[in-house]
Amino acid sequence: MASRYDRAITVFSPDGHLFQVEYAQEAVKKGSTAVGIRGTNIVVLGVEKKSVAKLQDERTVRKICALDDHVCMAFAGLTADARVVINRARVECQSHKLTVEDPVTVEYITRFIATLKQKYTQSNGRRPFGISALIVGFDDDGIPRLYQTDPSGTYHAWKANAIGRSAKTVREFLEKNYTEDVIANDNEAIKLAIRALLEVVQSGGKNIELAIIRRNQPLKMFSAKEIELQVTEIEKEKEEAERKKSKKSM
Amino acid sequence: MAATFFGEVVKAPCRAGTEDEDEEEEGRRETPEDREVRRQLARKREVRLLRRQTKTSLEVSLLEKYPCSKFIIAIGNNAVAFLSSFVMNSGVWEEVGCAKLWNEWCRTTDAIHLSPAEAFCVFYHLKSNPSVFLCQCSCYVAEDQQYQWLEKVFGSCPRKNMQITILTSRHVTDYKTSESTGSLPSPFLKALKTQNFKDPVCCSLLEQPNIVHDLPAAVLSYCQVWKIPAVLYLCYTDVMKLDLITVEAFKPILSSRTLKGLVKNIPQSTEILKKLMTTNEIQSNIYT
Repeated sequence: MASRYDRAITVFSPDGHLFQVEYAQEAVKKGSTAVGIRGTNIVVLGVEKKSVAKLQDERTVRKICALDDHVCMAFAGLTADARVVINRARVECQSHKLTVEDPVTVEYITRFIATLKQKYTQSNGRRPFGISALIVGFDDDGIPRLYQTDPSGTYHAWKANAIGRSAKTVREFLEKNYTEDVIANDNEAIKLAIRALLEVVQSGGKNIELAIIRRNQPLKMFSAKEIELQVTEIEKEKEEAERKKSKKSM
Repeated sequence: MAATFFGEVVKAPCRAGTEDEDEEEEGRRETPEDREVRRQLARKREVRLLRRQTKTSLEVSLLEKYPCSKFIIAIGNNAVAFLSSFVMNSGVWEEVGCAKLWNEWCRTTDAIHLSPAEAFCVFYHLKSNPSVFLCQCSCYVAEDQQYQWLEKVFGSCPRKNMQITILTSRHVTDYKTSESTGSLPSPFLKALKTQNFKDPVCCSLLEQPNIVHDLPAAVLSYCQVWKIPAVLYLCYTDVMKLDLITVEAFKPILSSRTLKGLVKNIPQSTEILKKLMTTNEIQSNIYT
């Protein structure tokens, strides 16, 4: 039945599906994992770095992009679609700043991106954008925000979420380990993001990229060394926890 | 027969069948050229089972030549990677032979001179227990070749005192369920077994109306007909290429009776699997 209703985006199937949008969500699952966490005083974005070919310049393969000084996003899915969406969002951020003399709120730019995506699910001859995005930042009122958009053009606020390959596993990990104590401490929130990624990343710390935004501070990208440090700490903590467990069982 | 406006006589289609059947037969008789083309095509698509050392064809089927108590068949790249990392590194396996075949899905165009690196189905047996067999099949066996493959491997009258385990994977969009595919915990494992398979299975059984396709279905049907105990473990995944998480989804099978004795070093296996992933990664910039 699906084959008759997935040719043109503007066609609903008899049972109400928009198959092209659902297929676009499959394209998102082909991208590597990205995780976002909203702490009390910090927002964290962690991504699984795509392996770069030997002759490829690493700088041009980025999953975390700044949209403005106080907002950044990570995406999963089609690289080219992401580039187009990010460019439009960046232009919108500056246009808003010049027109209204205020930087965009995280919700505003998320709504802009989501509206753009929705337009492409209702246009003839166009396909939806094959990306999901995690948008984080601090508003002027100092409140941290995390939003997620998907190819259908919906957006929701989240405390923590994951997109891309194995997003379900990461989300389940976050559901188990996201507590108010953890996110109150900046360092713990960062560790939670790394631990969530380590559940699904194929070769440990060297394939993880991390970015944080603290209140009234610009975006900070972690260097490979800093990530390695965090990963070592996490592994030490894990070993200690296992030792305690084995002592208890004895 | 009917006459058109222009005076030509046109044969009117008739659903009752043709009246002049003899005339039809003459027109459809096979020319020597047709026969030759058909013969060449059959030869091109022949499934050949070759011995390891001599690379000559086996005269009898593989399991008629060698006695077998356990046969584990991996079909598809994820199942093959699972057996390579978890089973094959836990013992000394010796290559017994290979099956070479060509069809439209093959990357090479030369059917006769397939290089040794392209042996698509390789058969091994455990040196310490030569009745345990393993098959790594990473090619697609077309419908017309499946019967030949079965004959060359199992023979026309197989023994019943062996147990077959088949591992394969399929895309989760083929899984028919009333739930939405977004809520499925892919990758996940499903099992299908023959009537004579009495051991417990390591996961839930495949529900209707889902069916199994291609070579795994052919092997399972063959075992059901010949009353051989066989079980198929099918992993539904959303990543069809070689993927660590899909391969690890096969892990519950390690506790089954068939594989329990064969697997020894699991942490080392995970390391080998990771290495296999990195060497096989194809560079693609479409998805980030």
